Amino acid sequence: MRFKRILAVSIIFILLCPAVVHADDPYSNYTYDFWGTPVPTPAAYVPEMIVDGVSLGIEPFNKPSDLFVGPDNKIYVADSGNNRIVVMNDDWKLVRIISSFNKEGSKDSFKNPSGLFVTQDGDLYVADTDNSRIVHLDADGKFVREIGRPVSEIIPDDFKYYPTALVVDKAQRIYIVALGCNQGLIELDSEGDFVGYTGASKVKFNMVDYVWKMIATDEQREKMTNFVPTEYNNINIDNDGFIYVTTSGVSLEDIDYAISTRSKDDRYAPIRKLNPTGTDVLRRNGYFPPVGDIVFRSRGYAEAGNSQFYDVCIDDSGIYSVLDKKKGRIFTYDVDGNLLYIFGGIGNRKGNFRDPVAVDVIGDNYAVLDFNLNQITVFRPTDYGRLVKEAVELHLTGRYDESAARWEQVLKYNANCELAYVGMGKAYLRKDEFRLAMKYFKLGNKRDYYSKAFDLYRQEVIGDNFGLVVLAIIVLYIGSRILKRIRTGKKARIKAMGKVEA
Amino acid sequence: MEVLGSLRYSLYMIFHPFDGFWDLKHEKRGNLKTAMIIVAMVAATFILRRQLTGFILNEVKLSELNIIVEILSIVLPFFLWCVANWCVTTLMDGEGSFRDIVITSAYALVPLVLINVPLIIFSNIITLEEAAFYSFFDVLSLVWTVILLILGTSVVHQYSLTRTFLTCICIVVGMGLIIFIALLFFSLLQQMYAFFYTIYQEIALRL
Repeated sequence: MRFKRILAVSIIFILLCPAVVHADDPYSNYTYDFWGTPVPTPAAYVPEMIVDGVSLGIEPFNKPSDLFVGPDNKIYVADSGNNRIVVMNDDWKLVRIISSFNKEGSKDSFKNPSGLFVTQDGDLYVADTDNSRIVHLDADGKFVREIGRPVSEIIPDDFKYYPTALVVDKAQRIYIVALGCNQGLIELDSEGDFVGYTGASKVKFNMVDYVWKMIATDEQREKMTNFVPTEYNNINIDNDGFIYVTTSGVSLEDIDYAISTRSKDDRYAPIRKLNPTGTDVLRRNGYFPPVGDIVFRSRGYAEAGNSQFYDVCIDDSGIYSVLDKKKGRIFTYDVDGNLLYIFGGIGNRKGNFRDPVAVDVIGDNYAVLDFNLNQITVFRPTDYGRLVKEAVELHLTGRYDESAARWEQVLKYNANCELAYVGMGKAYLRKDEFRLAMKYFKLGNKRDYYSKAFDLYRQEVIGDNFGLVVLAIIVLYIGSRILKRIRTGKKARIKAMGKVEA
Repeated sequence: MEVLGSLRYSLYMIFHPFDGFWDLKHEKRGNLKTAMIIVAMVAATFILRRQLTGFILNEVKLSELNIIVEILSIVLPFFLWCVANWCVTTLMDGEGSFRDIVITSAYALVPLVLINVPLIIFSNIITLEEAAFYSFFDVLSLVWTVILLILGTSVVHQYSLTRTFLTCICIVVGMGLIIFIALLFFSLLQQMYAFFYTIYQEIALRL
């Protein structure tokens, strides 16, 4: 009888217990710690919905190659295979399809448009790749002008002009990424006239290669690769007018070198942030430079091969996300270059990509365009992802205490989050709690900040015990004098004894 | 007691290397036992240094200490130096025996202990801005040791200074050669093992 009762109670108890909720994301969630080891984290972003031609009620996308979020959160997709631009609102409902436009009385259309940009006024610039031109349409989709091949004597005649991506800054200057152009970005003024190349990466000088070139014969020399800057593959611009460019042309060895030296300069950088003079100003103060995956030679959470950056998007607070086309991951970094989170992955499950080509941010969400699956995957932040993002944003706006409170919550989700320890350490440092600050900076492996906290702590200790310190110094001084006297006395005695014996 | 006296002598010796090394050999002021203790102390110093250097200056993962690797990384190069030294100087009319070489080389390592142990404590009370002092003393201990090693070689084998430098270069090359041959040997050994293992497997599976 009693046994039955126990059984019944335990069965009820088991049934009442909530089932363990297992977050089943179609990709592994990890980040890299200070040592460069991949460590598991909670998911920061999860796939929410998939948008394709069917859900929009239009002919399916055909090899779409760019996605851009304009003002009012309107989403523009360059549907290259269908030679059209599809415009959606932020409810993912169709607004307009632009497949042709009226150019000075005659109907004209795109040919493989593969990049687009929308200005704050809603003007649409399309990189009409196979027509070798930029098409400028106004907010209603009416033709304004076309900008053809840039004319200049420094552009060789045999250069085939295929613009693939572009941005327009607030002064209406146009920066274009063109296929096979390794001199940097093509800069046009507001009239569409060629100004020059800008933002070319510095050419790496390799002593070994140079020596080989010197002793090689002419035929051998021809076969060697030239020292040329890497070619950019995509471009974006932030609210302050800084241009972000990505490249997939950095070799695995160079990336490896940048990682192992924790490089802070832009020599082997697959992503650069250019100021108006074309100089890289990206801050690389994270544990590792922003290069995507850190571990890519061995097995682990990350598969073999380094990341190939293909697109970048920047949100309002300067947090930028870079798309790794090869492994379908999105790496999100803050302004300082700290890795915040990684999400996405290649695969066959819902929420996976096959060939992601573009990423952009819509409010809190991310939209990723897939060239092969002809669809857009929308990611929404989890509680964890939201907390991290908020903590970074609050810190940036100077609300340090609120930021620290977020970091504290982040640590409840993820004790591996070194950034959270650093964030809390900074908050304690501001509150003059040096011991605690030191503890958190140590947990976060942040040596420069630890040194600052330690410096202040040391001052505090010495200040509090000033009398004691002075006393110790006096005692040490007198002690050493006495010791010296005893020693010299001993020596003198020994000497004297020696004389006596002699 | 003999060891203690010998250790105290090493403190005198590192400041007076010419007389010191001479007496070490000819007045029998050094002995093997003390030499081994000094090498052990150096290994201990480097392990302590790895684990106890202040957080600001310490960039190794403390939880991943392999004490055998740490000891071997001191002891092996030391004996490699001694063996290469003996090999080269035997061919070059050196007067020191292997025992002399071991003792001299060990005594030359004393600055490493003498400077690094206080440095460990020092590293715990400095900030990043003062790290230059730390690296200065760190380099000083190394330079001092290298100078002592060279002078020791010179005195023990009764070489002139130029000849000593030449010999030291030869010794370093010799160390490289020994490593190369050792690697070759082990690689061959491994291949031989693999060969016999395959034969064994073949036979075992056929039967």
